[in-house]
Amino acid sequence: MALKGLDIFKMSPKKNCKECGSPTCMAFCMKVAQGAVSIDKCPYFSEEAKASLNEATAPAMKTVTFGKDLKLGGETVLFRHEKTLVSKTLFSVAVSTAMSAEEVDKKLADMAKIDYDRISERMYVETVFVSNTQNDPAVYAALVEKAAATGRSLILECWDVECAKAALAVCKADKPILNGATPSNWEEMNAVATEAGVVLGVWAENLSDLYDTVKNLEAKGNKNLVLDVTAETGKETLKNAVLVRRTAIKDGDRSFGYPSIVNLTRFAKGNAHLQTAYATMFVEKYGSIVVMENMAMAQALPLYGLRQNIFTDPQKPMKVEAKVYPINGADENSPCALTVDFALTYFLVSGELERSNEPVNLLITDASGMSVLTAWAAGKFSSSTIKKFFDENDIENKIKSRTLIIPGKVAVMKGEIQEKLPGWNVVVGPLEAVQLPKYLKDKEYEAAAAAAAAENAAKAASASSMEVKELSFDELLETKVPKIEVVDMGVHYKGHNPDSQTFVTIGERIHCIAPSVRKAMDERDPEPILKRAAEQIAAGATYLDVNIGPAEKDGPERMMWAVKLLQENFNNVPLALDTANKRAIEAGIKVYNRTNGKPIVNSADAGSRISNIDLAAANDAICIALCSADGIAKDNEERMKHCHNMLERGLRLGMEATDLWFDPLFLVVKGMQDKQMEVLEAIKMFADEGLKSTGGLSNNSNGAPKAVRPIMDSALVAMAMMQGLTSAIVNPNDLRLMETIKSCDIFKNHVLYSDSYLDL
Amino acid sequence: MSFVPKTQPFSGKINAVTLGTGDKAIVIGGQNVLPFYTFDAPIENAPKIGVEISDAADTWTAPAIVDFYAGCTTMAERAKKAETMEGADFLCLHFESADPNGANRSVEDCVADAKAVADAVSMPIVIMGCKNIEKDGELFSKIAEALQGKNILALSARAEDYKTVGASVALAYGQKVGAETADDINLAKQLNIMLKGLSIAPENIVMNIGTAAVGYGYEYVASTLDRVRAAALAQSDADLQMPIMAPVSPDTWGVKESIASEEDEPTWGCAEVRAIDMEVSTAAADLVGGADAVILRHPAAVATIKQFINELV
Repeated sequence: MALKGLDIFKMSPKKNCKECGSPTCMAFCMKVAQGAVSIDKCPYFSEEAKASLNEATAPAMKTVTFGKDLKLGGETVLFRHEKTLVSKTLFSVAVSTAMSAEEVDKKLADMAKIDYDRISERMYVETVFVSNTQNDPAVYAALVEKAAATGRSLILECWDVECAKAALAVCKADKPILNGATPSNWEEMNAVATEAGVVLGVWAENLSDLYDTVKNLEAKGNKNLVLDVTAETGKETLKNAVLVRRTAIKDGDRSFGYPSIVNLTRFAKGNAHLQTAYATMFVEKYGSIVVMENMAMAQALPLYGLRQNIFTDPQKPMKVEAKVYPINGADENSPCALTVDFALTYFLVSGELERSNEPVNLLITDASGMSVLTAWAAGKFSSSTIKKFFDENDIENKIKSRTLIIPGKVAVMKGEIQEKLPGWNVVVGPLEAVQLPKYLKDKEYEAAAAAAAAENAAKAASASSMEVKELSFDELLETKVPKIEVVDMGVHYKGHNPDSQTFVTIGERIHCIAPSVRKAMDERDPEPILKRAAEQIAAGATYLDVNIGPAEKDGPERMMWAVKLLQENFNNVPLALDTANKRAIEAGIKVYNRTNGKPIVNSADAGSRISNIDLAAANDAICIALCSADGIAKDNEERMKHCHNMLERGLRLGMEATDLWFDPLFLVVKGMQDKQMEVLEAIKMFADEGLKSTGGLSNNSNGAPKAVRPIMDSALVAMAMMQGLTSAIVNPNDLRLMETIKSCDIFKNHVLYSDSYLDL
Repeated sequence: MSFVPKTQPFSGKINAVTLGTGDKAIVIGGQNVLPFYTFDAPIENAPKIGVEISDAADTWTAPAIVDFYAGCTTMAERAKKAETMEGADFLCLHFESADPNGANRSVEDCVADAKAVADAVSMPIVIMGCKNIEKDGELFSKIAEALQGKNILALSARAEDYKTVGASVALAYGQKVGAETADDINLAKQLNIMLKGLSIAPENIVMNIGTAAVGYGYEYVASTLDRVRAAALAQSDADLQMPIMAPVSPDTWGVKESIASEEDEPTWGCAEVRAIDMEVSTAAADLVGGADAVILRHPAAVATIKQFINELV
C-alpha cells in the first residue's frame, strides 16, 4: 500500500511550527504523500520515522511508463469495488520474424483500422508486440522498424542480446519495452535495457524462477520491470497472473509488484473467438498488456466496451459527450428528446428510443454525469443549463422541429424551459425510459406539442411589450414578497446559544423535493410550510433548512419570503438557506435575523460550488462545506484535501474556521456499505483539527424499510458523535434519532444530566 | 528465498444445485474458491452452458443459427436439435412471445410447447419468461405443474412476485426457482432470505443477480458478481451462497454491436461474427466474475465457451 498523508501525519512531530513553509503539519504531510515536497524540509522528523517512511512509501505495485505516454500498474486493490483500478489493460497485436512480409503488412494494416471513439475515449491497439524468432539482428531490426512506422508503442520480445541491441538501436527513442530477460540471460539483458533506458520484461518457466530473477534484477538496482506471466496454457497463465498480483497487493511483496504481459498467441493461437474469451478474462484478471494475433472490429467492440466499464472509477459517474444524437435516422425535422449525460441514462434512453423505431434527436446535456433527478436538485439540469446547451450547439438553427420532450421526472421545469426557449413547444415525456417506445409510437407528444404551441402563441399575444429589468433586493421586498402574517401554531422556538457545544440538528423537512412544499413555495402559500416548521421545532430542531429548489427565476423573492415567514412566526429560528441560486441566498441573508445564530449557506463544495464559501464569507454566514469536487471523494486522503482546500479559502477570506462545517458526505449503506467506516474516520479527522462537521446523516439508510431507518440513523449518529460530529441535517420528527442525540449529548458532557433530560 | 504461493480456499462454499434428472442431470455450484482459481482448490463442478431456444426463434437470422436449426419448425424440434450442439449442457426455453404487450401467446400454448420439449429431450430444462410479472407468474406455475418430476428451473422469481412463483414452482411442484435482481447485492440477499422464508430449501434456489452486455454498464454486473462471491465465500454468508445463472444471449443479441447491419456500419464487418464475439465476451466476463452457468444462443459461442471452460478447470 502506498503511504497516505495521514499515515505520515501520525509519525510527524505535530508542532505546527510552520518552519517547513506549510501552515500545519497535516498540510505538510499531505504534500509529502503527493511527492510535492521532500520530508527533509521538516527539521523535526526523527531519523527512525524517516527510515520507516522511505520503506513504507514505496507502493505495493509499481507504475511503469513506456512508449507514447502509456502507463501500466500502480494498482492498490484486487477488485474495482474496493476502490478503483487505475491503469486500464492495453492491447497489442503480435508480429514476428517468422511471418512473411505480406502477413506482417496485413496485420499492421488491419490493426490500424481499429481507431474510434467510445464515450470520449479513443479506442485503438496501443502497442505492437514484435517477436524475434530467427536470431538475425538485421532481420529483427528491420521488422522492428516496420512496426515502429505504425506510430504505435512497441514491445520487443527478444531473448537474444545481439538482436535486442540491434532493435533498440532503431527504436529506443520511442521507449519500447524490451521483453527479454529470462533466468539464464537476465544479467546481459539487464545491461542492454538499462543502457537504453527502457523497461525490461521478465519471463520464466515458473513463478519461482520468475521471482528469483526479479530479485536478482532488483539487487542490480533495476525496478523498471514488467512480468510476462504467460505459460503453456490459459489455466497456468491465469494462475500466474492472479498469484503475481495477489502476492503484491494482498501480501505486500513488492518483488511481484510489477505490471504483467499476457500473450494469448502462445495458448489460443488460430482461434479468434477463444482469444476474445481469454482477452475478456485478462481484462478482468490482472493483465496489464494483452497480446493478440489480431484485433478485429468484432473483438474490439466487446473488449474495449468491457475495458471501459471495468476501469471506470466506481466513485465517479460515467459521462457521455453532451451533443445531439440522431436516433433511427432522425433529421432536422424529427422531434427532440432531452436528458442528462449520465452514461447509464444515455444507454437506457437511447436503447428504448431505438426500440421505438421512430426517428428522434436525443439531446444530451452536460449534467456532470448525474441522473435526472439528482442533477435537477443540484442545479446541473436546469432551464439555464439547457439554454446554454442549445446556444453552444446551435440547436435553433440545426434542428427545424420545435418539439422538445423533457423527462417526466422534471415536469416541474416545463414552464422555465418554455420561457428560456421561446418558440419551442415543451412537452413532458414519460416518467420511465421503458415507456418511451409506446409513447413515441402512439405519437402522444404531437397533441401535447400542439397544445404547447397554442399556449405559447396566446402568451406571446398577451405579453406584447413587457420589459424585464432586474430589481434590487429592496425593490423585490417591496413589490414581490407578500406581507407575512404571524399565525399562532402553538409552538415556540426556545432559542439557541451559538456558543453551546450541544449537537446542532438542522431540520430537513422543508425541501422542494416534497411536492407539497414545492407547490406551497410556488404559490407562496404559508400554511404547509409553517406546519412542517412547527412540527420540526416542536421536536427540538436547532436550525431549519429551507430548500427552495433550483429557483432560477424568482429565487430572491422566494427566499426572502421563506426566511421572513419562518423567522417572524417562530421567534427568529435560525435557518440554513439551501438553493443552487446564489442571488437567492444573498437575498435571504439580507432579511435574516441573527438573534439565534448566523445563517448557514447550504452548501459549498471543492468543485464548481466553491464560490459559495466566498458568499458566506462576504455575508458573515456559516457555510456547509462538502468534501467532494466532482463526485464522491475516493478516500479520506481526497476528502481531507478538499477539506483543507476549502478551509484555506475560507480563512483567506477572513472566515472563522468554525464557521465552515465540513460534510464528509454520508453514503448509503445499500450500495456503499464498505465505505461507512471511512466516513466515520473522516469525521474524527475533522474533529482532531478542531473543525466542525455536519452532513445528511439519514442518507445512510436510503432505501431501507421505514421501520429500520430510525434504528440505522440512531446507531450511526451515536457512532458519528463519538467521532466528534457536531451537527447533522436530519428529520427531527424521528423520535428515536432525536432521543439518541440527546443521550449522546449527556455522555459527551455537553448537557447536565437530569431524569427528564429527554423532555428538555 | 524463493517464491511460495499462498493458496486461498475459503471456508464458505457455493451450494451445489442439481437440475434435470437421469444421466443428463447437471450440478452447478459446489466450489469454495473464486471462479477458475483451481490453484487455490479444485473446482467441484465446471460451469455449465445452456442453449437458448425461443418461441420467437423464427426471427433469428444469423446464417449459422438458421443452418443449425434447418428443418426445425417447432420448439420441440429445435430443442431436440439443440441437444446435439457441441458444448450444450442444458436447454433454456424462452417464452418471449407470451408478452401481453407483444404477441401475447396464451399460457396454454406455451405449456403445450414446454410439454412437447420435455417429452422429446433428456437434458435439463430452464424456463425463461417474457418479463411481464403477471403473465410470467401464471406461465411458470403452469409449466412447473405440467413438467413435474423433471426438476426444471424457472427464471425467475422477482421481489414483486417471489411469493406466488416460489410457492407454486418450488413448493407445490418441487422444481427449482431462480431469484432475479438487478445489480443490487442487498436486494439479492433479501430475496433469497424471503424465498427461504417460504420454506424453500437453499439447494432449490439459483440466482440471477443482473446481466448486461459488455460495454453497457457492465461495471455494475462485474462488481455485483465480485461482491456476491466475496460475501458467499469470505464472509460465509449463507444467504448469498446460491449458484448464479447468467442469461447472456437475451442481452447481447439486443445491442447495436450484434444487430447493426453491415450497410449501416460498413467498418464493423460481418454482423454474425460481431454477435458471436459479443456473446463470447459477455459470457466469459460473467464466468470470470462468478456465474456457474450461462445461457447462450449461437453454436459458435457455445463451442468457444465450452472450450474456454474445459481449458480452465
